[in-house]
Amino acid sequence: MKVQGKKLIYLYCVTDSPQSRPSDEKYTISCGDFYAVAGKVRKIDFGEESLKKNLADFEWLKEKVNIHEQVIESVMKESSVVPFKFGTIFNNEENLIAFLKENEEELRNNLNYFRGKEEWGIKIYCDMEYLKKYLGVKNEEILSLKNTIKTSSPGKTFFLKKQKEEVLIREANKKINEYGQHSFDKLKKYSIRSVINKLLPGEVTERNDEMILNCVFLLDKYKVPSFIIAVEELKEQTVDTGFIFDCTGPWPPYNFCKLKKSGTAE
Amino acid sequence: MQTEEVRDGRVKKRLKDMEHNIIKSKDVTLLEILDRVLDKGVVISGDLVISVADVDLIYLGLKVFLSSVETMERLKGAPFIEPT
Repeated sequence: MKVQGKKLIYLYCVTDSPQSRPSDEKYTISCGDFYAVAGKVRKIDFGEESLKKNLADFEWLKEKVNIHEQVIESVMKESSVVPFKFGTIFNNEENLIAFLKENEEELRNNLNYFRGKEEWGIKIYCDMEYLKKYLGVKNEEILSLKNTIKTSSPGKTFFLKKQKEEVLIREANKKINEYGQHSFDKLKKYSIRSVINKLLPGEVTERNDEMILNCVFLLDKYKVPSFIIAVEELKEQTVDTGFIFDCTGPWPPYNFCKLKKSGTAE
Repeated sequence: MQTEEVRDGRVKKRLKDMEHNIIKSKDVTLLEILDRVLDKGVVISGDLVISVADVDLIYLGLKVFLSSVETMERLKGAPFIEPT
């Protein structure tokens, strides 16, 4: 009746080298010439019934996703990694080993591919009020409308102001699209692969400004400094416009790893 | 005309600033982690709990968490086109 029997095996990632100082929380299982980094987790956390309930508990989720990320990042410091999705669970080690054996070649190919590469993320946000203010003093169409308003009769002013607001919104959206595309194109040049992800709404970001671009790049490590400089250049170009850059990395290559056989069970 | 040293110095400063920013934001942004680990990484089966061969319990229903925010669907798909 010991707890041992009630533990599940959590798969974090596969990697090139074994982990030093193995523990129940994090140890390696070898498969051919690479290793799986796994940990023993409780059924009360990741068992089928408990998990659904736990996922609704934000504090639980926060703690567990942080562990997931920390384990993989600690491995990543020393070697190439192929990260698995949060909550990849096996009933026992035999099943995990069988999975590794079955996918040995593809996992090794992935590891080889990601060696010397890093994932970097870019999120661009836009403060609309700020951008509108900027356009109000820079955009010619808006400036000329402003001038017309000054010399118009009160009745006409009402409609002109309404028109000005419409132009502002149109021009702001145009600017956002241009700027997002320009930034993405510029940074893409440094990358091997890139992905544009869904924009996250304010409820998720908990920010007052709006996300206008959410993308990730896979970079050769030696290109990271040039990439960062390019990000800084983009930032400099946008002083006063209301665009805010958020650049994070290096990340495990979450956005770029895939097993051919995976996906839906067909 | 700027000298190599000036340029180098500027580049170094930028890198240092940038590093600082990255570390800072990575420490605090749970969003960044959630945006990755719940939705990305190697997926070894379809959504929800599924049995595949000898692999037993694989939970991939975590999108539930994110999609429970209704607006996610509304904003699905960025307005930018990635040239392939």
